[in-house]
Amino acid sequence: MRRLDVFILVVALLNVAVMLELVRRRQLREKYALLWISVGIGGIVVGLGRTVIDRVATSLGVAYGPSVVFLGAILFLLLVCMHLSWEVSRLEERTRILAEELALLRGGQEAGGEGRRPRIAATTPEGRIAGKA
Amino acid sequence: MADLLVIVPALNEEGAIAGVVAATSEALSAQVVVVDDGSTDGTGAAARAAGAIVLRHAFNLGVGAAVRTGLRYAVEHGYETVLQLDGDGQHDPDEASLLLRRLERGDVDVVVGSRFEHGYALAPARRTVMRLLSSIVSRRLGTRITDTTSGFRAFGGPAVEYFSRVYPSEYLSDTVEALLLAADAGLRVTEIPIHMRRRETGTASTNPVTATFHVVRLLLVVAVHRARVSPGAGPATAPAPAPPKVEVG
Repeated sequence: MRRLDVFILVVALLNVAVMLELVRRRQLREKYALLWISVGIGGIVVGLGRTVIDRVATSLGVAYGPSVVFLGAILFLLLVCMHLSWEVSRLEERTRILAEELALLRGGQEAGGEGRRPRIAATTPEGRIAGKA
Repeated sequence: MADLLVIVPALNEEGAIAGVVAATSEALSAQVVVVDDGSTDGTGAAARAAGAIVLRHAFNLGVGAAVRTGLRYAVEHGYETVLQLDGDGQHDPDEASLLLRRLERGDVDVVVGSRFEHGYALAPARRTVMRLLSSIVSRRLGTRITDTTSGFRAFGGPAVEYFSRVYPSEYLSDTVEALLLAADAGLRVTEIPIHMRRRETGTASTNPVTATFHVVRLLLVVAVHRARVSPGAGPATAPAPAPPKVEVG
């Protein structure tokens, strides 16, 4: 085993360990932990048998093995970034809805029994972002 | 029962919810709280018209979060016993009294209604997962629980206050992880057989890909559970200066 393999293995194992520790402390939702743990497992596989990369490269018709790693990594990180952008958009939308509901509740409380009774909305204004968590 | 609160988590159950509320109030003469988990149809209005108190989530958070909201309501209003049943009409309110009577014997804190003892066919993959979860949870609790994902449950004693703080909100965690948390807290859990009815309206939310993801996530949860810190990070539900309890009728 060469020094590079050991280095890859150590990084991958650290990755998995940190993720498990964050899950243990309940500071990371399991869905994100699963994502990075699977990356770590990929790293372990590569660390144990670096020829995997060359075989994948050959089957894809790529002459230089390491460029497959870069291609894969860039595509993967791009996807993760897009997913996080989507999540942030959803969270912003939800924050807005919460702020609105709070404003309406406070307004209703300050008005007390006076004024018109609010019509209680039967539905949620969220139809457009109804993605489940 | 004045001390009993019925929690019905509901998502887009406009067609079934009124019937569930009516049947439950009639069978148990208890206050019913429907937690509308961000429905986009008239679930909340239908439940209110049928006589339930409606707590509405501003957006969809999942069954566990809905139950948790209901439990916090129970604690803040001084209810000592909580019954949880689904808003789609699959749980028979007449059988709820079986769960409650079991709870009243006083030797358990949580009663789970199990679908399996009366026979309930499952696809092989699902059956394997259910058996695995059942054996893990049963071993941890020291008592046999066959239906770890049942949403037909009764909580009494310290379980109401405890779960109002720690009830897991993620899909499947709300049922399975909750049982492991019950074991951590030394709560006594038991299971009794119930019948399931056909869904009255609406559709079950199962898609093979997301289902697999949720099962994998749940297996991670179960695997690391023993090592995890307890989740008590929720907001402190201070025993509010008892607001007047709402009575039925």
